[in-house]
Amino acid sequence: MTTMIARRLIQMPLILLIIYTLTFMLAWLIPGNPLEHDDGREPPEEIRQALLEQYNLDNPVVFYWDYLGKATGVSWLIGRHDRPFDLGPSLTHDNWTVNEILAAGLPVSITLGFSAILLACVIGLTAGIVGGVRPGSLSDYATLIIALIGISLPTFVIGTVLLMVFGVWLAVAPIGGWGGVGNVLLPALTLSMPFAAYIARLTRFGMIDQLGMDYIRTARAKGVPEKRVVLKHALKNAFLPVLSYLGPAAAVAMTGSFVVEKVFAVPGIGIHFVDAVLSKDITLIMGVVLVYSTMLILFNLIVDVTYRWIDPRIEV
Amino acid sequence: MPAMARLLLPFTAILAALVLVISLDDRPPDADVVFVNRGDVFTLDPQRMTYLQDFRMAMTLYEGLVQWRNDTFEIVPAVAEDWTVSDDYRVYRFELRDDARWSNGDPVTAHDFRYAWTRGMLPDTAANYSNLFFHITGAREFFNWRTAQTRRFVADPWTGGDVDPETALAMVDRLTALRDADDRPAAIAWPQSLDATAFEDQIDAIRRAADEGNVADALAEATLLRSIHRDLDNRRSRAAEARWMWQRARQRIDDTVGIDVIDARTIEITLDQPTTYFLDLICFGTYRPVHRPTVEGWQVDEQTRSTIAGAGWHAVDPPAFADRRWVDLDPATGRLDQNHEWAKPPHLVTNGTHVVTHWRYKREMVAEANPHYHSPERIRSETIKARSFEDPNTAVLAFESGQVDWLSTVGVDYEADMLAQRRAYEQRHADAIAAMKNDGLHMDEILARLPEPQRGERRDIHVLNTFGTDFFHFNCREQLNDGRDNPFADPLVRRAFVQSVDREAITREVTRLNEPVATTIIPPDSIPGYDPPQGLPYNVDRARESLREAGWKRDGGRWVHEETGEPFPVVHLLYSTLGTRFRSISIVLKAMWEEKLGVQVELDGKDTKFYRDDLRQGNFMIARGGWFGDYGDPTTFLELFRTGDGNNHRGYSSEYVDDLLDQAAAETDPERRFEILHECERFLFQEDVPALTICNYVRVYMYDPTRMRGLTHHPRLTQYLWQLEVQP
Repeated sequence: MTTMIARRLIQMPLILLIIYTLTFMLAWLIPGNPLEHDDGREPPEEIRQALLEQYNLDNPVVFYWDYLGKATGVSWLIGRHDRPFDLGPSLTHDNWTVNEILAAGLPVSITLGFSAILLACVIGLTAGIVGGVRPGSLSDYATLIIALIGISLPTFVIGTVLLMVFGVWLAVAPIGGWGGVGNVLLPALTLSMPFAAYIARLTRFGMIDQLGMDYIRTARAKGVPEKRVVLKHALKNAFLPVLSYLGPAAAVAMTGSFVVEKVFAVPGIGIHFVDAVLSKDITLIMGVVLVYSTMLILFNLIVDVTYRWIDPRIEV
Repeated sequence: MPAMARLLLPFTAILAALVLVISLDDRPPDADVVFVNRGDVFTLDPQRMTYLQDFRMAMTLYEGLVQWRNDTFEIVPAVAEDWTVSDDYRVYRFELRDDARWSNGDPVTAHDFRYAWTRGMLPDTAANYSNLFFHITGAREFFNWRTAQTRRFVADPWTGGDVDPETALAMVDRLTALRDADDRPAAIAWPQSLDATAFEDQIDAIRRAADEGNVADALAEATLLRSIHRDLDNRRSRAAEARWMWQRARQRIDDTVGIDVIDARTIEITLDQPTTYFLDLICFGTYRPVHRPTVEGWQVDEQTRSTIAGAGWHAVDPPAFADRRWVDLDPATGRLDQNHEWAKPPHLVTNGTHVVTHWRYKREMVAEANPHYHSPERIRSETIKARSFEDPNTAVLAFESGQVDWLSTVGVDYEADMLAQRRAYEQRHADAIAAMKNDGLHMDEILARLPEPQRGERRDIHVLNTFGTDFFHFNCREQLNDGRDNPFADPLVRRAFVQSVDREAITREVTRLNEPVATTIIPPDSIPGYDPPQGLPYNVDRARESLREAGWKRDGGRWVHEETGEPFPVVHLLYSTLGTRFRSISIVLKAMWEEKLGVQVELDGKDTKFYRDDLRQGNFMIARGGWFGDYGDPTTFLELFRTGDGNNHRGYSSEYVDDLLDQAAAETDPERRFEILHECERFLFQEDVPALTICNYVRVYMYDPTRMRGLTHHPRLTQYLWQLEVQP
């Protein structure tokens, strides 16, 4: 296990380097000039040129190495830069560095994503167990329909409906913003819906599968109470597919959702995945992609470790 | 259910921890006015601003020499209490009031303005609006000089593959400048003894080679230059050279740029050309002052600090770069590296009515009254909060629920439906409104006096005219980029395309905002003393006639050229797919031209970046455009049509127009000047029509007219936040 973790951690920088290189090439290929604004005004040619030079945007090779050195901290180690892990200034948000943008947005996205995944687990597992224990029953169909709605209704519809109901009509929830429990509940619920629905389906199939197994029959024959059979014996195995889904799901949820953050005016980083690309903000694109990749790799690692812990037979 | 409880326990614990984390988040103070800006503010550094929402903040945070009255756009005193203008409109002298203070109590002096303005024309600042300072004598030359200076510093012709002659020449210029300098610091690794002849010979050889275009051999032979160049390439020497370059740049500003501080309360500006509208120009956000010790992050001792607080920062020697937190000279590039941390609270120091005390990215910005402001009676609201919403729909919901007082942009799909409800309300009270308008009441006052709206009506949405015009570019070049003849090079063809467009139908049926239609480019009632002419109206018969005059004739349901017999080419209409507005208007134009004129039109909808590239390279026949004016003079629009202007994407060139613009630039009689510009605009939109104007832009606000006070409706649409007030 330790070797597995060590190997994965050594692989990580290499994977990140490949991702960095590919993302950089794609980002560079986006047409246009990130320093230009949509407001339609254009500075004279000499100013345009001076701006491009200032940000190394006139030379991809210089940009690539300079950025790599600053982002990894190598430039700092050899004394060419005053701080490590500097992801550079944002090219479109003039007053902010990418580090500041991530520092401001990432905790918000992580809090929101974490709450959403928790909610999704509670809702999804409950619904899945209820349905899986008695397939074909009324409660099974009820949870199935709810799951179907969760998967098929787009989050901006769910979000807007929740806002209308709780924010405008009942006036119990604040509209948009961040900083209170009320600000988290609605977006977390909205964000959790598709995850909850998927978890419910995975759990339901897992439960049906496991409850038909021989060891369950043995447990029941031995007189183990039904609650214990379901929650301890069957759930433990039925949970495995959910677990492998939770890794990437957590990474997705915690790096922010463009739609949910937009609808609820949540100041996370999800919005930048789209906006940075549209405005060709290369440094910001690199920043969010690197953070996202790191989280994805780490969460997958955590899931694999947990897997081994739950079921030692599994070779990872 | 103990098993279930055990399962839920970790969830509950984590949930409780989350709740704790969230509630520990610090909350900004409550505000008297809450508004939604057009988007999140990008920067609070006035010299580096480009966005409307940023400038809106600048208008309140910083006070310029003079400012507009935002309901009439007359010029009124601000920091300057008095000023004189020379007869030729080239020398402006301002007397500053003595009680103007920064928000930390320091006096506002003439030096603050000089510092901010020279900062704006410094290429190192990377300001998009540097060119606004180019009216000032020596500013453009300084900008180019400093750009060349830093370019030389990084030119290295011996590394890398192909060397262009420019890089070699830049290196040559750097070395000769160093050799000729009599103030060269010892820290620069310049050789103790120099073989002057060899140096001269190698320099000449490279210069000659550069003339012929191939410098590779000359560079290979220039061993002396190469070794000097290599010696210079170490951190210590480069740092010294960057400092030396910087001193020269400061010296050059002192010697050549026309901003003279006579004394702490008097500043004199000399301009390159007569500029009658210079007072209006300097009301713009780019010209607002900044506080040098803050911008540079001076670390000074107590005594120096108190001298600055008493007399101003010019009374002390600026600290060495090591003691300046936010600026440094970069030995790699030679440029002044500026950290923008100062432009955020808690560091930010401003001299306007308010100072920003909280700013969290993409969340909210809170401005509180500046305790040192010289005329506190002007401040209507102590605390103003700007909230940030990415989704317009959410912003409208926040307004509906009363959490926001003023929405400065609406932009939802159902905007037009809300506006229809407003029109329904106005129609029901048409008589009362007309009567009160006769009494000279402000529209908000009138609305507030009317009875509550009924179901299906509303009075909290407002359409306001702006200082911008929506138009389409015609490509006026003789040839298209693919080498074909361009039919739109002929003004008669352009006229035909303009006259066949029913603008009213577009604003009524397509945009549904009922904008004022525009046959010329400058919005009416926006510049005091200037009344724009009329352009070409909608007239299908005249349109077809124009096309015939241009040498095209109808033949079997299509237009063919009389001489060559070539059919009229398929017209390509380029637009950006950002938002639905551009697409909808383009579709209708296609329909109008195909139906009324009988030509074939193809739509080229492209992503904004591609659209901009095509526009700049002239890859279009007709393309959508639009423009907002910056300052209160017709040239802010008309200069777009000058030959070779950076924003003249049409490739339009007319000697007559250029000549009129030159005449206007030299004219010192304001009335005569406006006559010249009037003729220029008339010619552009009656005769040559390089652009098809559709309408003036409007902006849609939401606010409750019974509670909100202080928003101006003047088309220049500049809101001062200190005037805003929400009545209980």
